[in-house]
Amino acid sequence: MKSISKLFSFGAVILACFVFGFAWPDLQRGKLPSSHAVNSLFGVRSGAAASPEQQFSHAYTKILTDYIQPVDPTNLKYAGMEGLMSALGDPHTVFMPPRAAEAFNDETKANFGGIGARLGTDSLGAKIVSVFEDGPAAAAGIKAGSIVTAVDGKSVTGKEIDEIVTMIKGKEGTTVHLTVVQSDKPRPVVLTIKRARIIAPTVDSKYLAASQVGYMSVLSFSEPTAAQFDHEIAKLEAHPLKGLVIDLRDNPGGLLDSAVDMLSRFFENKLVVKMKFRDGHEESAQTIPGLLHEFNYPIAVLLNEDSASAAEIFAGCLHDYGRAKLVGTHSYGKASVQNVFPLIDQSSAKITIAKYFLPFTPFFGRKVDQDGVFLTGGLEPDLKAELPPSTIIDPEDPKTDNQLWKAIQLLNPQAGAK
Amino acid sequence: MSDAKKSVWAATSIVLSVAAVFGGLKVRQHTDIGSIQAVGKDSSTSHMLASRSNEVNVPAADYFYELSLKLKEQYVEPVSDDQKLASGAIRGMVASLGDPDSVYMDNDQFKAFLNARVGKFEGIGADLVLTTESHAPAPKTAGQIPDGEMGADEALVFVREIPKVQVASIVPGGPADRAGVQVGDTVESIDDHWVVHSDLIRKFRLASKKFNDKKITRLELEKLRTELRAKFERSIFPGKAKDRLFMGKSGVVNVVWNRSGSIKKTRIVRAPSSLEGFSDKQGTIRIPFVEKSADQLKAAIRGKGSITIDLRNNTLGDVQAMKQCLDVLVPKGTYGYFVTKRHDKPTPLIVQKGNPNPPKIRLVVDRSTRGIAEAFASALVSKGVASGSTSEMGGDPCSRQVVQLQDGSGYTLVTSKYQASVTSQVVSKRGGVK
Repeated sequence: MKSISKLFSFGAVILACFVFGFAWPDLQRGKLPSSHAVNSLFGVRSGAAASPEQQFSHAYTKILTDYIQPVDPTNLKYAGMEGLMSALGDPHTVFMPPRAAEAFNDETKANFGGIGARLGTDSLGAKIVSVFEDGPAAAAGIKAGSIVTAVDGKSVTGKEIDEIVTMIKGKEGTTVHLTVVQSDKPRPVVLTIKRARIIAPTVDSKYLAASQVGYMSVLSFSEPTAAQFDHEIAKLEAHPLKGLVIDLRDNPGGLLDSAVDMLSRFFENKLVVKMKFRDGHEESAQTIPGLLHEFNYPIAVLLNEDSASAAEIFAGCLHDYGRAKLVGTHSYGKASVQNVFPLIDQSSAKITIAKYFLPFTPFFGRKVDQDGVFLTGGLEPDLKAELPPSTIIDPEDPKTDNQLWKAIQLLNPQAGAK
Repeated sequence: MSDAKKSVWAATSIVLSVAAVFGGLKVRQHTDIGSIQAVGKDSSTSHMLASRSNEVNVPAADYFYELSLKLKEQYVEPVSDDQKLASGAIRGMVASLGDPDSVYMDNDQFKAFLNARVGKFEGIGADLVLTTESHAPAPKTAGQIPDGEMGADEALVFVREIPKVQVASIVPGGPADRAGVQVGDTVESIDDHWVVHSDLIRKFRLASKKFNDKKITRLELEKLRTELRAKFERSIFPGKAKDRLFMGKSGVVNVVWNRSGSIKKTRIVRAPSSLEGFSDKQGTIRIPFVEKSADQLKAAIRGKGSITIDLRNNTLGDVQAMKQCLDVLVPKGTYGYFVTKRHDKPTPLIVQKGNPNPPKIRLVVDRSTRGIAEAFASALVSKGVASGSTSEMGGDPCSRQVVQLQDGSGYTLVTSKYQASVTSQVVSKRGGVK
């Protein structure tokens, strides 16, 4: 009798151990096993279908064990997470594996020295789009239109522009060797340039005497932008003006406050943008009173697919309140706010947490397909004008820039008639 | 009870308890890896995000769970479709393999693929493959650029291989066939959209290198650059190009083909077409290698002394069906191997029972014999049980698994490649695990 109860309690202990092992994955999380797990233990299939998680785990395991080649489990996991987040079709909700997350931090934190030039894409390497006055590049004799083909002896042909910029930037005071192809020289030259802290001008202007139109380019929205804007407007208004072109092409945005400040020159106490959050609460920004300026001429804003964020808000508001016509192509469609959530393995998740809404324009957020190809979004121009990809723009001749020229003609129909 | 007996009891019970714990854990992992999903709502204390533990290697299933949860909590719009997230994750994983034969297909693509397996084609009536006729050494570590030494020239010329869309088989009498398309043709453009491939990019890179070495002029380089830009302006990626030809039952496509260097323009009307399933005409047998093929083959060879097996336009067969066909056709034995690059042992292709009185077999194959059909042909010929030249086949005797997901999408995964014989070199070249 005694031995039977002994055997029984022994069996109970073994069973308890088994149950403990079975429940361990959940106990670690401070939970009990799901009914699904318990059911499947007894061979009951709860709902015939495998859960999405199970399908994922199944695919993950299958690829690791059955694929014809060995696959790195960590990379596979990260690839899965990238796919998971891109399934929402929002280009700003992305998974950043450890290495990308690190680069993102560098970008936002570190203060690097540069050469004082703006670079653009080119199939040979990187094209110098503009050179800042008094910067190291200007001092070394680099001119706009030149092409950088190698950095410190390493060819940059075919590299992404971001990568080339990273190679060129470095600690203030150090030097960088650039191999540069200049149109007026038969062969590439190697220039040695000392990196310096660069404060890039964000506003630039030029009076186009032939058409009596003011041209102003705003490269980004940062703290001094509004003040620079006033300064350049004053310069332009010294001439007779038939109109003003504000060029926001390639303007990636920047500070919302700066855009609001600039819009306050045009109208006061007006809604600029409304942000709607997931939980339904809203925040909005309005123009500030007391900063009005009288613009006695029509305005056109140039946009392209790289005009984004604050640039779109600025352009969209001017458009919504009837103060400007939009010319060019549709803009990028950055109409949302993101938050970066760090994860414990050094990767992070960047997630869209709110949306921007302009006063009247319907939501203009960018939608892409699963390959990242543009579907819809961005501000639609009033006057569509493309810039053919092989266009070579002569800064002295606005006719070589199709989009600018269309805007000028819109403001002053007589332009080019003579 | 003696002391010795007692300690044996104690030891046994300890061993058994520990075994029970592990057993429970093991069973659990087997029954339900993803059970974490079913847990109640109180998961706001996120394990992965809030954990202070130093454990950095978060298991994939947990990662999936936590990230889905984070999206549900934070994303600006409500996220309720878990299946969409899972399919997206699977798509991401399969795509990271960088293998044109292992692909994720959405609902419509997968449906078209499954239909084609049983001979029901739409689109232009052809099976299309994405192929990299490697010029540069193809990346062999799943989508990665090979590490190790690479010369400057190679580095410059090396671009991540973008595959071409190539015709693998054609439905006789189907739209493509009537338009004169041939197996082996590659797609140059569709409806005036250039199908992106690496050749032109590579050519440009070579030219820019030559320019740096002052072997060509700036003007020549500019010309090439303009051409490249113009083509990219109106371009379509290979996967999408394949869809346009493989899917749809109506509409016209204007396709420009490249047939070993010469250009051929066609205008094709999409329409349903079907490839004959299993057939037996005057001793010439076609086997699609699907579920019932083996039974049909068994019936077809009964009492025949010699047969002809036509394996042309046969690309989508299934490995299990092929093995069953071998079993009814040929005597028992080992018919070559399925090998992988995983440092594991080759899996022999064994016919267990077999057919002790096989007929005389003659094979008809060509470049449209591919995949499992190609493995089948090689197995028969290498073992000497069939005659016929197998030198001109598709060149891709791989075995792939097909997995369907709940939402109707699915994916294929290449698991091994057929090889008639193995050398010790293949079994394990490096030994050891990376």
